Amino acid sequence: MISFIGRRFSAMIFVLVSISILVFLIFFATPGVDPAARIAGRNADQQTLMQVRQSFELDKPLPIRYLSMMRHLFVDRDLTSYVNRGAKVIPQLSQAIPATFSLVIGAAVIWLLFGLIFGVLAASSKRKWLDPTISFLGIVGVSLPVFWLGEVVNLITQSKLHSSVFRWVPPLGYVGLSVDPWQWFLHLLFPWLTLAVLYAGIYVRVLRSEILVVMSEDFIKTERAKGASEKRILYKHAARMSLMTIVSLFGLDFGALVGGYALLTEVVFGIQGVGKLTFDSLQNFDLPVIMATVMYASFFVVFMNAVVDVLYAVLDPRVRRA
Amino acid sequence: MSIKESSEAIFSESPGKIALRTLRRDKRSIISLAILGFVISISLLAPVYAHFIAHTNPFNSSLDALAHVGGKSVPVLEASTTGLGLGVTPIGPTWNPSSYFLGADGQGRDVMARLLYGGRNTLLIGTSAAIICIVLALLIGVIAGYRKGWVDAILSRLLDVIWAFPVYLLAISLSVVLLTSGLTVGFIHLGPGSFALPILIIGVVYIPYVARPIRAQVLTLREREFVRAAVGSGAKDSTIIFREILPNIIPSILVFVPIIIALCMLTESALSFLSIGVQPPSASWGTIINDGLALLYTRPWVGIAPGLLIVLTAASLNLYGDAVRDALDPKTRSRGDS
Amino acid sequence: MRRRSLVLNSIISAAAVAASVLVGGATSQAASAGGMAPYDPAHAGGTIKLVAAAAAGSLDPKINYTGQYWQLYQASYDGLLGFRYGDGKASFEVVPDLATALPVMSNGGKTLTFTLRSGIKFSNGQPVTVADVKASFERIFKVSSPTAGSFYNGIVGADVCLKTPASCKLDKGVVVDAKTNSVVINLVAADETIISKLAVPHATINPANSPVKDAGTTPIPTTGAYMFKSYDPNKSLVMVRNPYFKEWSHDAQPQGYPDQIQFQFGVTPTAQVTAVENNQANWAYDPIPADRLNEIGTKYASQVHVNPLTAMWYLPMNVNLAPFNNVKARQAVNYAIDRAAMVKIFGGSQLAAPVCSFLPPNFPGHTDYCGYTKGATPDKPATAWSAPDLALAKQLVKDSGTAGQAVGIVVSDDDVNKQMGVYLQSVLNSIGYKATVKPISGNIQFTYIQNTKNKVQISVTQWYQDYPAASDFLNVLLGCASFTPNSDSSINMAGYCNKSFDAQMNKAMALGLTDSAAANKLWGQLDQQVMKDAPVAVAFTPKQLDFLSSGTKNYHFSLQYKMFVSQLQTK
Repeated sequence: MISFIGRRFSAMIFVLVSISILVFLIFFATPGVDPAARIAGRNADQQTLMQVRQSFELDKPLPIRYLSMMRHLFVDRDLTSYVNRGAKVIPQLSQAIPATFSLVIGAAVIWLLFGLIFGVLAASSKRKWLDPTISFLGIVGVSLPVFWLGEVVNLITQSKLHSSVFRWVPPLGYVGLSVDPWQWFLHLLFPWLTLAVLYAGIYVRVLRSEILVVMSEDFIKTERAKGASEKRILYKHAARMSLMTIVSLFGLDFGALVGGYALLTEVVFGIQGVGKLTFDSLQNFDLPVIMATVMYASFFVVFMNAVVDVLYAVLDPRVRRA
Repeated sequence: MSIKESSEAIFSESPGKIALRTLRRDKRSIISLAILGFVISISLLAPVYAHFIAHTNPFNSSLDALAHVGGKSVPVLEASTTGLGLGVTPIGPTWNPSSYFLGADGQGRDVMARLLYGGRNTLLIGTSAAIICIVLALLIGVIAGYRKGWVDAILSRLLDVIWAFPVYLLAISLSVVLLTSGLTVGFIHLGPGSFALPILIIGVVYIPYVARPIRAQVLTLREREFVRAAVGSGAKDSTIIFREILPNIIPSILVFVPIIIALCMLTESALSFLSIGVQPPSASWGTIINDGLALLYTRPWVGIAPGLLIVLTAASLNLYGDAVRDALDPKTRSRGDS
Repeated sequence: MRRRSLVLNSIISAAAVAASVLVGGATSQAASAGGMAPYDPAHAGGTIKLVAAAAAGSLDPKINYTGQYWQLYQASYDGLLGFRYGDGKASFEVVPDLATALPVMSNGGKTLTFTLRSGIKFSNGQPVTVADVKASFERIFKVSSPTAGSFYNGIVGADVCLKTPASCKLDKGVVVDAKTNSVVINLVAADETIISKLAVPHATINPANSPVKDAGTTPIPTTGAYMFKSYDPNKSLVMVRNPYFKEWSHDAQPQGYPDQIQFQFGVTPTAQVTAVENNQANWAYDPIPADRLNEIGTKYASQVHVNPLTAMWYLPMNVNLAPFNNVKARQAVNYAIDRAAMVKIFGGSQLAAPVCSFLPPNFPGHTDYCGYTKGATPDKPATAWSAPDLALAKQLVKDSGTAGQAVGIVVSDDDVNKQMGVYLQSVLNSIGYKATVKPISGNIQFTYIQNTKNKVQISVTQWYQDYPAASDFLNVLLGCASFTPNSDSSINMAGYCNKSFDAQMNKAMALGLTDSAAANKLWGQLDQQVMKDAPVAVAFTPKQLDFLSSGTKNYHFSLQYKMFVSQLQTK
């Protein structure tokens, strides 16, 4: 176990370092992103321009700038934004984290429930029309662009039907759980549903497929021969085996979303989470914030994949941890 | 056929032939292939529609054009005349194939014609990216899951880097680079209109999503009795992979294909918004979705129509995938369908 | 100036008004025509909620250069002078603010003598003293204010301060006397625009112990009706009443009505419109999306205010790069663009008007003419634009020998600008070029098109006036001094440097010091003259649209800073 943790930890360092270097190089290879002129202002004279460049350490060579930024980010923890001068990056990130966690966990609960219920239904139901219908709805869910869906939800709940059916829908934004739990819930309800639609579609299809595969396995036939009821077989064995793929996907999805992949949902619903922070920093070409959010996201991706690998061994004891 | 004859027929055919026959007779495969064929053909026939039916050039901005609705000529971009007279709205669906069937977009262009032309680009980019994704994911997933050890560690870390990589940053940066000077890789020069880049980016981005589940499956399969038996009997790795492992993971891969294609088409939309891939005035379902976002409150059809086509494509592939899966599975056949 | 974030806002001075006021040594305030109605406590109270998609950077009044925050500074920070709270042209007037009166000019205009008002306190209780005034001017250089070198380099000692900002001392440039409360500013040379420059936020008075670097998100104490309570660029900006504020000049810094002003960030433009409609916000900052315009123009017409702006949307063409290094090609573009179509894309004829002249309508020096319309030529112009002339444009392209060349149109990637780009691509293709559209993030497009390294051939951008003087358009945008190759700061995007034209502009500027009417006539002629060379194509002049919630009252518009935020009433 210790060696596993040790190996995965060093793997994480490797991933974080390589991504941070790539981000740095990509940023400065892009023409026009030099923050100095944008901060110095219109028609700035050359002296002002130079002062600003020096204050950003932009006149130093690339590797030194990189190391300096990493030091400010991880060691001194006082890295400041290019665009919002003086605003420390890490507090911005830590303030955004609860909102994203709330959004992603809530959506995850919904899509997992949906996926489970309807996936099982589609795989095992006696009614012939249920399977293709559920599968079709699942594909519709996957094919809907998130940003578009969010805007449509807003159009209906905030605009067209706001004075009638959806009077109870609060204005866009995020309210902390500790501030007002009921408002926290109301504000997040539609963002949860919107974000969950895409993943529910995927998980319904995947779960159904996995269940069907396992259902036809020989040992299930043995169980049937032994006389176990259909339901019991289904829930005990099939679900357990199907979980391998679901767990893989969930590790990837959860890791990515918590790291900021839900940016479009956060932007549409005005939730100030990690995704919105990422989105704004990309728009502004604010390298320190970009770097911080990318490091945060990478950490979660690697972490979740490690957790998933542990879960493989739990689900299927035959699989020894790699 | 008598029972003897039919069983003889079954036993004398190869499993592949049986699968194909089952598939061909499956209603689902017929319907889905018909729909796919329809979508592909109308996309290929886009120039015919544009020229002969709609009489329009959907790539020229025509803010002063006229549409023919109910016998009258109406400006395609109507300035508001009520209230304060603010805003200019493109005409909505006329349901008249010869004149702005689905209405116009913000440049006064025929949305239906652009939709058909757009199908070519989206289908090309979406399917190419999906093929790259699935083929590479198979490769990486199987090798990582089968070989374990160092190979697995390196490949898994590669998957981590791909999945954690800030694709949006890369896309934005790339778009500025392409727009400024183009990208030169070796002796290949890529301009902003090149499809190679979006296909590559979209394809690679989703590799972990398919590779990790495949790897998980292979990890399990590898420990199964029949595989261990094969290993014990000294069979080559490649034989084991192709004979024992691959056939068992095909159903999982099949379910991913339509999902990945849909996701690739939607990602194409995001990339063309960032000016990578389909350039103005060319269209793709993705660019039309983007146009539709700006017209959501007045002309929702502009955004809905391409979405419907993506749903149609993905859903028919979905249906076909289910049919293929059932055809390949000997146990399903014994259930008495087809 | 350009309207978007990070761009110069205004130094507005009606040169004529300033000149006459200076000569007369005018009195400070009078309840003259156009000013705000007297304060009515019955309407005081409540919170004004403003919504915007994003924050606007540093809150430091010496650093921030955006219209979004300068609108707020007018109600919070004060300089020796300020722009008047008034309607229409009155909002262009410079009135005394922390000074008791407009300055006494002497020494041929090189010395300005002010008397600082006594009894005014900062929002932290500290009294405002002449020491703070001197420190504030030195701070302009210490924090490397964007305008340090362009506006305030005329102060004696500024040259040294520009070289070594950290130790900036303006002992000779800003001479203060605590006993008499006098502030004397010494200039190197007379400057007719110094009055305006002293009225903008970069010249406001901050406490002497303010940080010597960009204060960023930490608010600096204010003197005006409001102070900044908190600022989180990802969430919101909150202003509350300044507890130490007592109205000293109704024209410069009137008492405000709301108890709190809250600026919320992170709301998409379409969500802003919905929020205002639902009474969840009082005003939307960002431009209204095209597909909501009709909605607000019909269902919410009474909540919409449209005001004229002296500004233009135009297409700079790089005169040093093919194909637009050929004057016929540039003229072809001018003839080819359908300005009415571009107005449609912008939102319709109620929100913009086609224009060919470089100086916008109602601007000093403007003449009604259009050389690039059907049936007219630059030598024999019509009075207004009527229609494009595609045939002539195609012919010009052929004659220029540039037909078939590739042209890249660089635009901002927001919806309206992108649509303009797509439209222009279609037009350029129709007259014989192979055009492509290059949308670039709005945050970098403006500096991107200035840098010659990026080899931009043609782009779409906007220019809003800084002050109503023709030189602000013609000299700033087309003068040789504004063209710096390989720099992100080269506002003459066309790269147009014509020595004789420069000489003529200098003549007009010199003439403006003595005879503004004659100078304006000359500027009008220079406008027509330079457009024969067509370094740019002017498309249209936009209007400002303000959308307020139904409960918001007392809307007043400043031609300088746009809507007067502190005067909005919710009761």
